[in-house]
Amino acid sequence: MAKQESGLARTARLLDLVPYLTTHQGIAISELAKTFNTTVKEITDDLNTLWMCGLPGYTPLELIDLEFESGFVSIRNAETLAAPRALDRAEALSIYMGLDLLSAELGTANSSLVTEITNLQEQLKSQLISAPQVQISASLNSEFRALILRAIRRRGWLEITYHSAANDQVTKRQVAPYELSQSGSHEYLQGYCAVAKAIRNFRADRIVGVLEIPDQVWPSNETAPNEAAISFELRVHAATRQVREVLPEITADSASATIQGFSASWISRTILSLGGDVEAVAPNEIRTAVHVRAMAALENYH
Amino acid sequence: MSRKNERLVNLTIALLATKRYLTKNEIFRNIEGYEGSAEAKERMFERDKDDLRKLGIQIEVGGLDPLFDDEAGYRIRPESYALSLRDLTPTQVTLLSLAAQAWQDAAFTDLSQQALRKLTSIGIDTDSSQLPVMAPRLVGADENLRIALDSLTSLTAIEFDYLSSQGVTQTRKLQVYGVQSRNSHWYLIGLDIDKSEIRNFRVDRIQGSVSTIGKSQSYSIPDTFEISELEPALDTPIAVLQVRPGAGYQLRRMASTIETADDWDLLELPIFDLEFITNLVLWHGEDVIVSSPPQLRAAVISALENLVSTHG
Repeated sequence: MAKQESGLARTARLLDLVPYLTTHQGIAISELAKTFNTTVKEITDDLNTLWMCGLPGYTPLELIDLEFESGFVSIRNAETLAAPRALDRAEALSIYMGLDLLSAELGTANSSLVTEITNLQEQLKSQLISAPQVQISASLNSEFRALILRAIRRRGWLEITYHSAANDQVTKRQVAPYELSQSGSHEYLQGYCAVAKAIRNFRADRIVGVLEIPDQVWPSNETAPNEAAISFELRVHAATRQVREVLPEITADSASATIQGFSASWISRTILSLGGDVEAVAPNEIRTAVHVRAMAALENYH
Repeated sequence: MSRKNERLVNLTIALLATKRYLTKNEIFRNIEGYEGSAEAKERMFERDKDDLRKLGIQIEVGGLDPLFDDEAGYRIRPESYALSLRDLTPTQVTLLSLAAQAWQDAAFTDLSQQALRKLTSIGIDTDSSQLPVMAPRLVGADENLRIALDSLTSLTAIEFDYLSSQGVTQTRKLQVYGVQSRNSHWYLIGLDIDKSEIRNFRVDRIQGSVSTIGKSQSYSIPDTFEISELEPALDTPIAVLQVRPGAGYQLRRMASTIETADDWDLLELPIFDLEFITNLVLWHGEDVIVSSPPQLRAAVISALENLVSTHG
């Protein structure tokens, strides 16, 4: 739905409609509304306004000539406004940064495209006050993303090579992907994992390979058996930023916390990584596991 | 509202079409919509000029022939109004469109859609046949990043509350020089005004909203500033780790060299952030030993002793 817009946003749209219509003669009003992210009524109002605009004199000779009664729009006599407007600085910077990502992803294997991108960036720089310093790298390889998005759309299976941090192991799994979504500052692939026979979340930056598996029937509403979550009781010795980012359940003034998780290995490694700022209280096996691993690691230094 | 929009469009058309500067009187006489007393027209015109400038349209002010009249005149140069990127190949249009579409977070959709419409209006079809299959995406771009990027384009300082590594919230004032995205996080790099030092800040560690302080164009980015200095340099410290074969997958991906052996593999990796490497080494428990540098070794040993005593 169209948001509440300022009068200026409307002026901008009127100016941008003219070049768009000039190169899209005969476009349906409904499609035009979709392109400009607004309603058919708003776009019709815009067309009615533009129809009154033109060069001084404002006779039919000078006015923009629009036809849209049929539901399809054509425009004539609008040469003065026919060129698309220049990108504003924010638009130029956002495209500049997007190009940086493309260039990083294309890499040395596509050097001619990378050169093309550098040239486009040079042209965009002229629209910015000062040359922006940006450096972009992606969390998920763009080719993997394209394969995942296509599989989601076509309801196809993928073979994913995945690094599980909890076990420190790389495995291949067959996954029927449902969606790519973001949680906190990480992106996750959610899908039905044929190995686990359950819905699983895979952190996008730990996916190291993606292959399409052709012609495999999608899981039909198989309800995944819910694994029982384990409650971990923790004592907080120092609620540092690191502690709070790794375990968002812990806030600045938490003295203790209960965390729900599925993997004993994950929680004991997490506590190890926090170096004693958080203590495992229960279940007792976790507390012992942390103690044993820390002792073994310390032994390495003797 | 619609009459005002109509007047702004008519003003733009007239100022674009003219080959010479138009005086205010010519504008009031010829362009539809300027009504009322001389003063009212004057106020209307001042507001209209401001509005068009807010849309990024540059109105040029120039003198007329001084022999006849010293009144200022106005025009819009078509070359400054129009998109300069127009002589493009289909492949170039595709690259630009992919770059705009990479922004899919809510705080950026209006921006990327607007840019895309301008690109589509050029009327050159895209052609992705020269490109590998790709769907680039910039994730985690939130409202605070948007404000920070706007401040970078207008050179306006910003202020925000930031969570320090000790878990304390502090107000920081920053002149943004650049932005970086790595390991799924956005960073702002610039001059910390109170500390008079170049610092970087992770955007998701900002508490609440970023606000701007002071006027636009209040600083400049030093020519000597180079963001690429954040890549491994000659003086970036190197960690030497012994890692059990088969373990330490993430460490191996970060390593600059790997030497395999029977009991322990030897890895070298650059230390950008000592705290991060310390935590990562600890995560691997008994599968990793720090050989050097001494401060990383000491940090790991002390954390392990701490863990043993709290869990004993």
